[in-house]
Amino acid sequence: MASMTQERFEAYAEAFGGDVSRWPAEAREAAALLMAEQPAMTNGALARAGRLDAALDAWRTAPAGATLIGRILDTAPRSRRGWRLWLSPAVLGAGLAAACAAGVIVGVQLSDRASDASEVAVANTLSAVSSPSLDLGEGA
Amino acid sequence: MGEADPDEELLARVAEGDPAAVRAMVGRKLPRLMSLAQRMLGEAAEAEDVAQEAFLRIWKQAPRWQPGRAKFDTWLHRVALNLCYDRLRRRREIVTEDPPEQIDSGPGPDRGLQAQDVAVRVSQALARLPDRQREAIVLCHYQELGNIEAAAVMGVSVEALESLLGRGRRALRVALADMVER
Repeated sequence: MASMTQERFEAYAEAFGGDVSRWPAEAREAAALLMAEQPAMTNGALARAGRLDAALDAWRTAPAGATLIGRILDTAPRSRRGWRLWLSPAVLGAGLAAACAAGVIVGVQLSDRASDASEVAVANTLSAVSSPSLDLGEGA
Repeated sequence: MGEADPDEELLARVAEGDPAAVRAMVGRKLPRLMSLAQRMLGEAAEAEDVAQEAFLRIWKQAPRWQPGRAKFDTWLHRVALNLCYDRLRRRREIVTEDPPEQIDSGPGPDRGLQAQDVAVRVSQALARLPDRQREAIVLCHYQELGNIEAAAVMGVSVEALESLLGRGRRALRVALADMVER
């Protein structure tokens, strides 16, 4: 393992931030050794980089809305089996019931715009806004 | 041969039109595409257009995807970045001077920084960076790609990536000095 200089440590912190676990894998071990040897210098460099990380993290992005998810799902590939099943009367009835239920759930979700957890939002919306045709392959 | 691509199996099912796979792909990639595009473009409406266009490319590419040639997530990041650059270029053709929405570059003298102020300041500072520095920071900090993968997306060496990151973050530190320096 190559040793790491103070300058190199500071350059890594400047480039990759204050969390060493997010540094390139090949640098982490040497960084840990230097942190044990020179805690004051390394902690200072990491804290400085961490303050910039924290500022960057303050910018949260808007999660994808149900309308966008619906538009994307509408363009998705469909299996022939799914379309055949969709046209059967039993599934048409179930699909309509599911669509009504989805409408209620989407309504509830749209009223709760406070959440910034975009992954959770997309997952929730996907479970509510799946068009009948897209639901058909499952369990068939 | 490198490590297995975690998206390959899902992509193959998408190509077959498997509805569960389609939904899983949207759940897995849409938040990342929205994050990437909003950070590159600075606004949500255009980011939605980029995300939708990127999914059209995914659906088109799924049946043609050749396992082992490239990592799917790397390809997808490149596709989304290209779509963002198309839009940034169009903006610059219209407004050739300062980047858009660059008003109010700092807090007023009589008010503290609120969370929303910090977010606005950060988005403005990122928008002012040279494109490649912003791209490097978005890929490594926000998208949490490793240095090798981010360099592959950008088509540069890991050394060049580190240089872009370092210069970009130094510029951000100057722009946000009142918040991050003590």
